[in-house]
Amino acid sequence: MSGLDTWRGPNRLDALRGPSKPVDHNARSIAALAANPACQRRAILDAAGIDKGSTIQHLGYPHQFGQSPFALARQEQFKAIVKAHGGAHILRLLRELLHLSVEEAGYHNVEDAADDNGRAVRHRHTRTVLRSAAEQPEHAATLFDDPLLKLNVAGYDVYLEPDVIAFQVGRQFHVVAIKTFAVVDGQADTPKVSAAAREAAVYVHALRELFSSLGLDPARVAHDVVLICPKDFMNFPTAALVDVRHPLEVLRRQLERLSRIDDILDELPPGLSLDLRMEGKTPTRPAAELAAAVSALEARYAPECLAVCEMAYFCRAEARACGSLEALGRTVRDDLGGLESIDTAIHLISGDPVCSPEQDAIATRLQYLRRLHDEAVA
Amino acid sequence: MLTLRRQIRAAAAANDHVRVRSLRAELREVERRWEEILEPPTLRRPPVREHVHQVLTLLGTPSAAKLIVTVDEAFFAGLLSNTQLTSLRRDEEKSFRASPNARPYYLCAALTTERLSPVRGLLAVSTWPLPQRMIGPLSPRVDFLLATIRIADHVRRIEPSAVALRLLTQLAQNVPGATEGYGPADPAAVAAAARAELDVHQEKDRRQRAEAAQRAAEQLPEVKQLFGAGLRTAARSA
Repeated sequence: MSGLDTWRGPNRLDALRGPSKPVDHNARSIAALAANPACQRRAILDAAGIDKGSTIQHLGYPHQFGQSPFALARQEQFKAIVKAHGGAHILRLLRELLHLSVEEAGYHNVEDAADDNGRAVRHRHTRTVLRSAAEQPEHAATLFDDPLLKLNVAGYDVYLEPDVIAFQVGRQFHVVAIKTFAVVDGQADTPKVSAAAREAAVYVHALRELFSSLGLDPARVAHDVVLICPKDFMNFPTAALVDVRHPLEVLRRQLERLSRIDDILDELPPGLSLDLRMEGKTPTRPAAELAAAVSALEARYAPECLAVCEMAYFCRAEARACGSLEALGRTVRDDLGGLESIDTAIHLISGDPVCSPEQDAIATRLQYLRRLHDEAVA
Repeated sequence: MLTLRRQIRAAAAANDHVRVRSLRAELREVERRWEEILEPPTLRRPPVREHVHQVLTLLGTPSAAKLIVTVDEAFFAGLLSNTQLTSLRRDEEKSFRASPNARPYYLCAALTTERLSPVRGLLAVSTWPLPQRMIGPLSPRVDFLLATIRIADHVRRIEPSAVALRLLTQLAQNVPGATEGYGPADPAAVAAAARAELDVHQEKDRRQRAEAAQRAAEQLPEVKQLFGAGLRTAARSA
């Protein structure tokens, strides 16, 4: 094997990570990856399975990431309500939403049969159950509770646990996602719905992969996801269909990119390492050196990152330091397309001469806004 | 008590030790009665298993701890809490293994028709026929409808409490055609609607359960018929 080969593929990723154990992916982390496909930093860190939590802490940014224990408890509680009595609420919602016939009321808890025997057994059982459901629909249950799916992400197997998989609606499989944000008067918070859709897309993708590996038609997994949320201000579940084709497409592209991550790796400086040099539980690598190494990976910061990525505070500080427009959000960046930094924008507002003809239109708009602002403030 | 104390003092002064001792005993008895009148001791509660048995007999189906607690609150004493039920099945299994069939009934597991392993979180009664304790794909729905009918019938028999009506309404929300709007449900309508859906599933469910029950009766020893076959049970009994 030549020296160059060891620098490619998983070896190169292992070299980046150093001797520590890789961190497992989950649906949230995969969805977060797909939320910002242009961010090479996240792509590399995730592909190499680097512990972003300890990295960011060592870089001197407080660890402010993760779900609150209250949110998790609430999630558990609401799931229990929705799944109670053999998924009675889910059946009602599926009957209303997808016109499921009354005869279809079977409920199968995958966890029951595979009890505590580890994830591999539960995954195998899920495969068996889903295959027999697809092949002999007349004997199959309608709801599959607690299935366990597997997805290969950048060479590593990731186990994923969707809430429920519903079947028998037009012989199609639907992924059911249970979330705790309220749908008030038919309206829900858009960022939360899109986050849920991205997460559900991961399950749809994994389920389709499973179907292909079983030699079944992946199109039998519907691209519509059943999203179950509390209705208005009650603890009463309501449901809506969410089309996840777009996040699914993004996810597929992103996962393909992950498998072709070698291209990004080739552009990195040789010998780059993100190892924390852990001794026990304390990192010994100088923070400045680590910061320089992380900065070598190109990031694409947007304020949305704060909700989904551990590295967000580091990237934000970096974006602010170089006066990047990204730090102000995607809308601002798109509106001011063509400008590189906040400084340039400020120059244009204060009426400095325009250096290129493309900036002319933006300069006029900015100056008009400034006039409006001055009038309002005066 | 005051008189007694005075008598004790007099007897002690007269060096009559026997009398002092008997008077002291009398004083203690009077004091105990006095305390009891002030604060009557709580009645000894019947054991948790009896409460659960009562609830399960009303429901007639293997049920989850949460439903048992709610039904107890709605129709009985309301003394049960979720935490009391967590280790109940394990304790019953231990008791059965120590001296089989020593008690008139045991609170046991419901079994999956697929692998005859215990279903998570469901409690059943050992005196029920085996098919009733089998859980096939359709059984959760059938049992939900049966329990709804039993609760609706019971609500009709008694003067229902607010908790009982709320429970019935909650269950009825998931039975097609049982309720209109958000008011309390009408028990007769709920029972009729649940029976209508039950007719659709019951025959198929009965077949699946009977087949699994026969398998269980042929293959499993008595203790596993009650508490389920599965790796967990084997590991624990080893």
